[in-house]
Amino acid sequence: MENRLRLLRAERHWSQQDLAGRLEVSRQSVNAIETGKYDPSLPLAFRIAELFELPIEEIFVSPSRRSSKAI
Amino acid sequence: MFAAKQRDLTPAQRAHIRRTVWLLVAYGLILPPLVWLRAHRHVSDALLLAMAIVASLPVLGMFASWGRYLSEERDEYHQAVVLRRIAIATNVTMGAAVVWGFLQAFGVMPLIETYWVAFVWIVMQGAFGCFAAFARSGAGD
Repeated sequence: MENRLRLLRAERHWSQQDLAGRLEVSRQSVNAIETGKYDPSLPLAFRIAELFELPIEEIFVSPSRRSSKAI
Repeated sequence: MFAAKQRDLTPAQRAHIRRTVWLLVAYGLILPPLVWLRAHRHVSDALLLAMAIVASLPVLGMFASWGRYLSEERDEYHQAVVLRRIAIATNVTMGAAVVWGFLQAFGVMPLIETYWVAFVWIVMQGAFGCFAAFARSGAGD
């Protein structure tokens, strides 16, 4: 799933390790989410959204919306 | 580099590795005297049964350690990766065991001890772990 995590993190000048610490996950988790290799669970997605004070849909791109845009 | 990799490990991974190392050490210490005893001394059936159970305990411990790791791991990404790895290793090992079993039944392949199934499964876990670490370092992760 595409997301804006890397961009949001960069805006705050946080390293992957910084973000991982704030989310209480491993740095590899942050990397896997940023690169789209892993889709976070709903609780973790909410934690990410709360950390950045944004709605979930402003961080994660819905696959169905993305495909409908492509059409 | 090794220290950096150590830091990347979750507490559950560190505990699992520690348990596995101790179990491998125990296996290495337990097995040779049992094999020697079996080969060089006459042993009663009851003692043979006890020896077989003792020999299998460290391997059973490794399976228990995997289960404990999955229940202790708080990082959902690592948990998902390990679950996928276990699923692949189980499918491949069971598939190989079934094919070998039929080859054996038709007399094409020799008889092997069934504990090799567990050995193959454990080796596959280690191989997947090494491959994943290698792939991560190659990707600059």
